[in-house]
Amino acid sequence: MSKLPTDNDLMTRLANGDKQALYIIYDRYAPALYGVILRMCRNRVQAEDLLQESFVKIWQNAHRYDRTKGRFYTWAYRIAKNIGLNALRKPMPLIQNEDLSVHSNKEDATTIDYTGLNGALKKLEPHHQKAIELVYFRGYTHREAHEEMDVPLGTFKSYVRQALKLLRESYGTELMITWSILQILA
Amino acid sequence: MMDKKRIHEEGLLEKYLLDELSENDRIFVEKAIADDVDLKQQFIQLEADFEKMAFENAIVPDPRVKTMLQKRLEEPKKLIYYRTPLMIAAGLALLFMLTTFLMYNRWQESQERLNLLQTQTNSLQERLVVLEENYQTTNERLQLINAPSTVPFLLKGQVLDQDARAVAYVNHQNKLVVVNPKGLPQLPEDQTYQMWGDVDGEMISMGLLPTDKDLVMLKYIDKAESLNITIEPAGGNDHPTVEKLVSYVTM
Repeated sequence: MSKLPTDNDLMTRLANGDKQALYIIYDRYAPALYGVILRMCRNRVQAEDLLQESFVKIWQNAHRYDRTKGRFYTWAYRIAKNIGLNALRKPMPLIQNEDLSVHSNKEDATTIDYTGLNGALKKLEPHHQKAIELVYFRGYTHREAHEEMDVPLGTFKSYVRQALKLLRESYGTELMITWSILQILA
Repeated sequence: MMDKKRIHEEGLLEKYLLDELSENDRIFVEKAIADDVDLKQQFIQLEADFEKMAFENAIVPDPRVKTMLQKRLEEPKKLIYYRTPLMIAAGLALLFMLTTFLMYNRWQESQERLNLLQTQTNSLQERLVVLEENYQTTNERLQLINAPSTVPFLLKGQVLDQDARAVAYVNHQNKLVVVNPKGLPQLPEDQTYQMWGDVDGEMISMGLLPTDKDLVMLKYIDKAESLNITIEPAGGNDHPTVEKLVSYVTM
């Protein structure tokens, strides 16, 4: 059984112009990035276009990825987030002309709700969920997000820190359980 | 230690991951992570947690997105945006370009026709001016010939050529002379007919008589006793060559 290529292997191949490597990366990461983009723009058609744009940019900028500075997914997430925010800053051509700030009027009447949260995040308190959702899935800055939640910036930062700590504990517990099962099976 | 404290207090690791930092802060955090093993471990853990959370909240996109991405990368010159308003905009732009091109061509054709018409109009106007002038001259001469005070004189060939004919119309009242030289025989190019008025035995030139014209206006000589036609070198002569007298008539 052949070993699956690591992200670093794939990025090396990508930097050398191997399109197949990009398609493997797409299969691996497109759902996670699409989850972010769709929650950000809340329009399925636009989100699909932006996902395509994100992978084109990953393809074009593969040589800039520096593995010493972080994971591939973090790098790709930043690309997708910036493409999403840029698209939200521009009015949709031929459809709407009203002045849209990045985070105003996000709730489109035609939106289908694909955006409910899952996993460990769903187990958090509503204000913790909201804090993580705003900064991670909706592209808000901390400054924008604390205004959106109508709490002081310091309080908002505490929410994020607490939420991350709880997530860490949740994932740590899961890891411990998995480790224990593996030990028993061994 | 101060750097680490600031990073924790301000949540700079989270902001760095979320790409929220200014250029200076980004460099600051990157350096701190590179220099501090503990901080690096925290960042690795944070990345892992965020990534896990993203995967828990993943949404599978429609398979056609991958197909379109593949098409786009295989045909890099062709930008593929499906079902987006850009297609409509591109179509409208193309239609607008075609319409503009057709309109421009028609405008050019119209402009060329207009220029041609303008040229023809100018040419016709010029011809009309010439015709009016000709008509005016002919009319004046006709009026002169038909005037009751005009006296016609027939100048018959008498010396050199018996068949030569010319008719002179003299109006003493208006002091005008018009001659029809069409009946005079053609001369070589180096010769011309010239008419003279005889005043007390002195011959005074009245002008040349080109035979290709119907009527020639000549100078009226007061108190002329006779009209004389001679053959002279081309361009005329100061004194008549009497040996080449064609015709004369006494008035």
